[in-house]
Amino acid sequence: MTLSLCILLASALLAIGAYGVATRKEAVPLLLSVELMANAANILFASFGHFRGGPAGQIFVLFALAITVAEVAVGLALVMLIYRRHGDTALDLASEARQ
Amino acid sequence: MSPITLAVVATLAPAATALLLLVLFPLRHRGMPAAWVTLLGSAISLAASCKLLVDRIGGAADERAVVPWIEERGRAMAEIGVQLDGVSLPMLVIVGVVALCVQLFSVAYMHDEPPRAFGRYFTLHALFLFSMNVVVVAPNLLQLFAGWELVGLTSYLLIGFYFAKPSAAQAAVKAFWMTKLADMGFLFGLLVLYVNTGSFEWTAPTSTVVATWVSALLFVAVVGKSAQFPLHIWLPDAMEGPTPVSALLHAATMVAAGVFLVVRADPLFAQAPATREVMLWIGAVTAVFAAGLALVQRDIKKVLAFSTCSQLGYMVAALGAGNAFAGFFHLGTHAFFKALLFLAAGSVIHAVHSNDLGDMGGLRKRLPITTAAFVIGALSLAGVPGFAGFFSKDLVLTALEGRGGGAPWVMLLAAAFLTAFYMGRVLIKAFWGELSQKAEHAHEGGLSMTGPLVVLMIPSFASGFLGGWLAGQVKAEYHLHLGLTPVLASVMAVAGLVAAVVVFGRGGQAPGARILEKLDAWSLVDRTWATAYRLGLLGVASIAGWIDRYVIDGLMNLTGWSAIEGGASARRLQTGLVRDYALLVVVGVVVLALMGVLR
Repeated sequence: MTLSLCILLASALLAIGAYGVATRKEAVPLLLSVELMANAANILFASFGHFRGGPAGQIFVLFALAITVAEVAVGLALVMLIYRRHGDTALDLASEARQ
Repeated sequence: MSPITLAVVATLAPAATALLLLVLFPLRHRGMPAAWVTLLGSAISLAASCKLLVDRIGGAADERAVVPWIEERGRAMAEIGVQLDGVSLPMLVIVGVVALCVQLFSVAYMHDEPPRAFGRYFTLHALFLFSMNVVVVAPNLLQLFAGWELVGLTSYLLIGFYFAKPSAAQAAVKAFWMTKLADMGFLFGLLVLYVNTGSFEWTAPTSTVVATWVSALLFVAVVGKSAQFPLHIWLPDAMEGPTPVSALLHAATMVAAGVFLVVRADPLFAQAPATREVMLWIGAVTAVFAAGLALVQRDIKKVLAFSTCSQLGYMVAALGAGNAFAGFFHLGTHAFFKALLFLAAGSVIHAVHSNDLGDMGGLRKRLPITTAAFVIGALSLAGVPGFAGFFSKDLVLTALEGRGGGAPWVMLLAAAFLTAFYMGRVLIKAFWGELSQKAEHAHEGGLSMTGPLVVLMIPSFASGFLGGWLAGQVKAEYHLHLGLTPVLASVMAVAGLVAAVVVFGRGGQAPGARILEKLDAWSLVDRTWATAYRLGLLGVASIAGWIDRYVIDGLMNLTGWSAIEGGASARRLQTGLVRDYALLVVVGVVVLALMGVLR
């Protein structure tokens, strides 16, 4: 297990997330893709922390997870509202932001 | 009081009157009190001028006092003040006497006007007298120009006094336009003078080329103001104003300002023989041309209007011949007898309620004082020996002897004959013959109408004898001699009157009157200017209007349009689709990362 393998894993996760964000039309998969990208960053934090020694990287990941959870809560709430309004979670239906 | 204080009082008393009447509008709207205030102001002004003149006769020297006016780089570029000498003092008194007589006459003549209009009339008179005095006492060309423009403005207001009448409004605008067009010459003349000499003095030393340019440009303004051919067309139209206004504007003051300017700037004109040559010819042509047209006018005021053009032609010709004193002397005598003639005509119009010579006839039986006034004015204008006009006209003719190949001299002698002829025509048609129907109930106006007539009769007859004294004042030479010219001039005057009696005494027509009438009705000069006005001024105005509408406004509209269109296209970036925004975030991240790597 080397640092470069970890960075490669994180990059792969980021790429998968970005692909999901770009292609998915449903709200929930899109949120999941965003989560994947966020976790790619977390893995980088943890691995850099591990290989350089010291607890800072790991502690930072805990904070980031807490924030991500809150963010997901807000995102799911938005998805709920879109579903109530349009009877579907397809994001293309929700273009009210333009007005 | 010092002479300077007196001169300032003489100049500013009418200004104070006008200001008072402008600010205290209830006083102005009352009518008659405004007239008394104006008369008081003019009387103070005249009294101060008379005191100055009396002191001068008593041996007082020339005076000049100036204060800096416009500053340029800490140096006075122009000065404002008073100059009292042999030219300005007699002129101040002439202007004052005529203005006071005219104002007094107006009290009765304008009596039927509503109080507000009556008050406005006298306010304008006060303003006019102030403007004219500014011209007369001016110590340099720039102050003269300021007064000149003030005179132009107030004469516009006075000619257009009956502004509700379209013809009067048009006449006022025409007078304003024609004189303003000519005043461009004055303005450019001042510019050329200042650029070359750095001063506005009469005597600014300069080269012949500069003097020719400046004097030619100034002369353009003179042609306009003094109604010379071909800019004379505004003067006959200006008869739309009240008759006393014509007596003031077209006898002693406004039109005389042009001649006064040349007399003042004589040192400058003396360096420009080419300009003088042009002046000589224009003056002579105007004198004959206008005298011919005066012969066929049916309106008594228009006869006098063309006569004024003609007499101003005499003055301009004299100035062109290099004898400024002859022009100035004729200006002085003409001011008196032409004011008298206009006021007498006003008295006739007041009695008959018509301007038309056809409505008059036999008036000497009803209006004895007016008739006496008109006869004296007419004899003086015709140049009958002994009357004021004879002396000054003789001097003008003598000055012209041998100039320009003798043709101007012959032309002015012919004009002298015509002058006597057309004045004889008016006398016979209006005052002699059968009593006309309209003249049946005519009667003299009150004392305020006959008084000024009687007062003006005196200088109209006698001012000619002051020639020698006036010449001494301006250091000119003046001899009364019995040569060919005075004899010929007298013969012309008497022959003209006799011819008038022979031709018009039996109700005949002047020979050649048909042609002159055609010429008058055709009014070629008038039409030329009307076309020039339409093509030139209105053409430029419509081009300027087009540029304003499509270029200036177009730029404004383009600015607004591009903001609207730019906003509309920028708006398409905002799709409102969450996926697009998310994709943009990702792209942004990638770009940032690439920038980080590639740096």
